[in-house]
Amino acid sequence: MANAVQAHESVAQADAHAPHAHIQHDTNTGISNTKLGMWLFLASECLLFGGLITTYLLYKHPLEGPTPKEIFDIPFTSTSSFVLLMSSLTMVLAVSAIERGDHQRLRIWLGATALLGATFISGQIYEFTVFVREGLGFTTSRFSSAFYTLTGFHGVHVTVGIVMLMSLVLLSLRGKLPEHRAETVEIVGLYWHFVDVVWIFIFAVVYLIP
Amino acid sequence: MAITSHDPIPTAQLDGAVKDYSRDKVYVLTALFLAALTVVEVLTYAFPDFPAWSGNLVIVVLMLLMAIKFFTVVHIFMHLRFDKPILTWIFWAGVVLAGGVYFAALCTFRIFWPGSHG
Repeated sequence: MANAVQAHESVAQADAHAPHAHIQHDTNTGISNTKLGMWLFLASECLLFGGLITTYLLYKHPLEGPTPKEIFDIPFTSTSSFVLLMSSLTMVLAVSAIERGDHQRLRIWLGATALLGATFISGQIYEFTVFVREGLGFTTSRFSSAFYTLTGFHGVHVTVGIVMLMSLVLLSLRGKLPEHRAETVEIVGLYWHFVDVVWIFIFAVVYLIP
Repeated sequence: MAITSHDPIPTAQLDGAVKDYSRDKVYVLTALFLAALTVVEVLTYAFPDFPAWSGNLVIVVLMLLMAIKFFTVVHIFMHLRFDKPILTWIFWAGVVLAGGVYFAALCTFRIFWPGSHG
């Protein structure tokens, strides 16, 4: 076994991205069922958000009410996008921390991720409030309905992610998140990164492409 | 015996092996790269007449930047590059299926035809 550990060390040294913390599970695929389930869920989420984005593309030209060009505040949304992007960094640092057994940094990075996510959601609520004041309600036009449904669904996903992150912080504080449960943090991380990836798509397609 | 990075070893021993080894620098550099791409995206909005993305070229540039960001997050942050290939297959099956189905739907509504804005 000592040889195996040494071999893993050399693999890690040779490749800075070596997956040395991935343990073989006693399943047909060698992957835990929860992780496999999360990836299947994320694959199905592609279809959900694909449908919402397609609907938005079909209805993006409003027949009445404000147009996207008139109401979108690109500098503000860019800042929000940057905040969400950086939350992916803090999330991956949290996974890295628990793999090293560094529980204090795990909690710091998880808390930072939740805080950045909450900042993004606050920005979205502010943006929606401004849009409504400018006369763009949910039923104002087909564009507004498609826009609020798409970005609202994404916002709900971010909110669920924040709840999961805070749950992990609480579990860690109670000592119920030892190193051998690092995969739990990784699975929540997968969800969080996916939410970020979806926003990368939404930001380009909805806000930037004319 | 050939040992691969997927061979099982106990977590306790593994923790000792990874103690002095950090991927954090790679993650920080990846985040900086993603931030730089986001800046370029915003520049396409701030300076629409810049030759590199003037006219309809901006759509190509933005789609390309988006694709690079998407691949980077999925492969580095979500560890797909380092994980079992079956996970890559599962995820990309979802992406390709969604892309194909909705591309067909958009074509049905002639969204890519000039002047067809519903």
